Amino acid sequence: MSGEEQHPDLEAQERAGQEEPELDRGIVEAWAARAISNPDRAYKATFYLATFFFLVTTLFPFYWLLMVALTPRGNLSDVGVLTPAGFNPGAFVEIFTRLPFHRYMFNSFLIATVATVLVLFVASLAGYVFGRLRFRGRNALLLSVLVTSFFPPAAFFIPLNRLFNTNIDALRPILSAGSLYNTPYAIFIPLSALYLPLSIFILMTFYSQIPDGLEDAARVEGTTRLGALFRVIVPLSAPGVATAGVLTFITVYNEYFFSSLMTDGRPQNWAPMLEGVLRFQGEFEVLFNLMAAASIVAVLPVAILVIVAQEKIVSGLTAGAVKE
Amino acid sequence: MSTDTSDRRLLLRPVHWLETKSEAVFAYILLAPAFLLLAVIAFFPLVQTFRFSLLADETAAANPFGGFVGFENYAALLTGEALIPQQFLDPTFETPLLQQALFVTLAFAILSVLFETLIGFGQALVIDQEFYGRRWVRVAIIIPYAIPIVIQAMIFFLMFNPTVGFATDFMQALGIFGQNPLATPRDSFIIVLVADIWKTAAFMALLILAGLQSVDRGLYDVAKVSGASPWQQFKYITLPLVAPALLVAMLFRTMDAMRIYGLIDATAGCQTVPSMSCLVITALQETRRWATGSSVAFLTAVVIAIVVLIYLFGLRDTEAGVT
Amino acid sequence: MASVTLENVTKRYGEEVAVDNMNLEIEDGEFVTFVGPSGCGKSTSMETIAGLTIPTEGSVYIGGEEVTNLPPKDRGISMVFQNIALFPHMDVYDNISFGLRLRKYDQEEIDERVQKAADVVQLGGMMDRMPEEMSGGQRQRVAIARAIVREPEVFLMDEPLANLDAELRVHMRTQLQRLHRELDTTIVYVTHDQAQAMTMSDRIVVVNDGHLMQVDPPLTCYNEPDNLFVAGFIGSPAMNFVEGQATEDGFTSTYMDTPFDPTNYGIEPGQNLTMGIRPEDVYLERDTHLAEEPSRTYEAVVDVLEPMGDEIFAYLLLDEDVEASAEGRGEGQLLISLDPDTVIAPGDDIEIVIDRSDVHLFDTDTGQAITHDILE
Repeated sequence: MSGEEQHPDLEAQERAGQEEPELDRGIVEAWAARAISNPDRAYKATFYLATFFFLVTTLFPFYWLLMVALTPRGNLSDVGVLTPAGFNPGAFVEIFTRLPFHRYMFNSFLIATVATVLVLFVASLAGYVFGRLRFRGRNALLLSVLVTSFFPPAAFFIPLNRLFNTNIDALRPILSAGSLYNTPYAIFIPLSALYLPLSIFILMTFYSQIPDGLEDAARVEGTTRLGALFRVIVPLSAPGVATAGVLTFITVYNEYFFSSLMTDGRPQNWAPMLEGVLRFQGEFEVLFNLMAAASIVAVLPVAILVIVAQEKIVSGLTAGAVKE
Repeated sequence: MSTDTSDRRLLLRPVHWLETKSEAVFAYILLAPAFLLLAVIAFFPLVQTFRFSLLADETAAANPFGGFVGFENYAALLTGEALIPQQFLDPTFETPLLQQALFVTLAFAILSVLFETLIGFGQALVIDQEFYGRRWVRVAIIIPYAIPIVIQAMIFFLMFNPTVGFATDFMQALGIFGQNPLATPRDSFIIVLVADIWKTAAFMALLILAGLQSVDRGLYDVAKVSGASPWQQFKYITLPLVAPALLVAMLFRTMDAMRIYGLIDATAGCQTVPSMSCLVITALQETRRWATGSSVAFLTAVVIAIVVLIYLFGLRDTEAGVT
Repeated sequence: MASVTLENVTKRYGEEVAVDNMNLEIEDGEFVTFVGPSGCGKSTSMETIAGLTIPTEGSVYIGGEEVTNLPPKDRGISMVFQNIALFPHMDVYDNISFGLRLRKYDQEEIDERVQKAADVVQLGGMMDRMPEEMSGGQRQRVAIARAIVREPEVFLMDEPLANLDAELRVHMRTQLQRLHRELDTTIVYVTHDQAQAMTMSDRIVVVNDGHLMQVDPPLTCYNEPDNLFVAGFIGSPAMNFVEGQATEDGFTSTYMDTPFDPTNYGIEPGQNLTMGIRPEDVYLERDTHLAEEPSRTYEAVVDVLEPMGDEIFAYLLLDEDVEASAEGRGEGQLLISLDPDTVIAPGDDIEIVIDRSDVHLFDTDTGQAITHDILE
């Protein structure tokens, strides 16, 4: 097969070699001829072209967002494709003065952090059990975890909404309102549960790859089974834990459904960042430049996370893929 | 010192108690937190949602649920008699609402996953190469995946906003878009689609990259020695070896695309592009029809389940074909 | 130092029985080796001593105290594992001191004990190396140091030398014996390699199919195996087996028969017997004087020779028409050990005698040994 295909290539090469002296060709034609004679070069060119195309399409929206943010409010109808209409970096200050956008950011950050810690802890225990222990009912339980991850959030929402709006007397000492609505719990508890399966699967694959001998050694040396998990298995699965943690943080921080429905949107009621961004679509006027500026600020935490952890995420997912 | 150790011992007593349990009991105890969380947030609400969907709507009373009506809500939805605010998708008001939502949801899922997979594969192939500055190109290509939905929505909302954005003029010049695209169902659908592809192609790229990285590089040397062109290497080595990861990624993305809500809510609005998840929230917030909303939510899950099953059957066939 | 006792220990995994009703007493300071083919239950037995496996039935005692349900960390044991099992994320010092740190010893005492343990296994100056930077032998020594640093009552070793190359294995073998002498601790050792079991142990425990086959000092197992399994498993190359029947006046088989008085051993004529002869208990006819109780001569043909340097293994055919089986140990074949200076070539017709004082007889049906000599 490959041998047959080689021949036309060689012929083309020879032909191209003979035809090179003819100078009356167009540039495109000449390039095409060279590309045919040297396929590697054509692939290289395609590669650079594709890279350039992808970079522009992914990065341009951010660039343009910055242009909108930098444009003074009066000139917003004149924002160019590549340049702002005027220059007003003050929008990045105004988002914190007009609304307590920092409070929205803090709320989101806190919710995502707590959810990540909770998910990592609970998923570590479950991942250890599914990855390393043999017991009756393992497959059925694992399947039930998997199944939850395919239901849409809407399928959980109505009962949860009722539940979180119910006044629970037992909660009164810690929650003034007595219900979970308008508290961070109403967001991070459902999100932790719904993103738990993903982390369980990632950690399960990682934990199952740690040799049994290491766990046994830790137990003989003096740890409990839980001690062996947290002193030996978890540290040795660091890339997997990092992957699960980063993915959970990003998903919770980015989530829309529960985040937009479980608070009334006021910052003191733990409304997350997305409410802050949407608030600039204010009652009196739409503050496009502030929306853009707020979006850029809100992207920074996750963008930094991706820059720092990019390699870990890829290697973490790769290690998981190998096992599957 | 002595009190210190006795405190410690007291604290560690449950841990020591765990040590004496058999492997199965130990396993169940460690699973308890996960299943407690899932029971409260997932299992219990699912059962409740189904139960609610069998009750009547009470739009005026304090309790939004009336008596037991069986599958009447479902029947009303399927025949188009359900009382939910009508959408703009069909100006003649003749198409039943559910059909509109079903059409939007399925069309969106199929188109977005198709384009995401193609673009994501291209992106993954690029960032799988070794070249100078790869780290930063990788970050740049992956970053849309990490963008909060509200900001993704904001970017495209602004771009197609008639006052600020440039994209509307451009699309109008091409004759594709009408006057106010974010208020027109067809144009808004395209905007939402493009926005989704922009963000989630990066996610596909990430998963496919993970698949590509686990391919043994030695295979390419073997292929080169036997004279395979780069295209042949892709066709005979890369594609078959990445296919399992690719199909799993597509399955997850399809499930996810069928839940679309936030992106629509923050750009065109649920009235303009009614997805099934949109319908649940509209029923709840606009008309206080909780029972109808529950039936839509449950139907959404059923539709997703059907698509997943079709997928799994397809997967089984392809796997059988390979072996 | 402590004794170890297994009392009616049974371990089942579902239907499969890994250890079946095992009873064993290991004394203070003894070096005992579990030996048997892979999957025979020897590792499971050790895991029940370590506490890594809880027996389905029966009890385990260490130092006279019942520990059946105690977690490993509370049993006063330490263990060296087959895959060495050093914590890859810790350097040598942290690996060795892991158990001491968990038990909250003073830093000074930890330092002192780690130093001492490292000296015993000659690991000085490597304290900050990571396991991945060390050779197999060095890692093994770290694992041993980690095990001895806690001065355990009982020292468990699960195939600790399996992953080392042959030369290192022999070296570590002598090291371990020296270690046992210095520490004077009870050592329980598991291996599938009968050479390790023979060379190091005070007693060996031969296990097959979850059952104890014999518990005796190595030479007893070698010279007086209780049954066919032990006879075949201990000794390399393995014992020759000749299957036949008892007659009124001795043993008969297709290629070999030996006269003796069966009534001396309570053997009924017609009983199925297996005669066991170790390769070194067969002599050439001209060396008859070396045998304590020479038998009559047998004729044989040399099939294959394996000169080992210090001896020659000769695979013989007891009759012209015997078909040689691939491994050279089938019916009508006999493996013997010869002096290295013997002049011999394949195809030679030779005559041999057997030392009757070292011939073993087994009941073929039960596998049990009947006698370890057939003097008359």
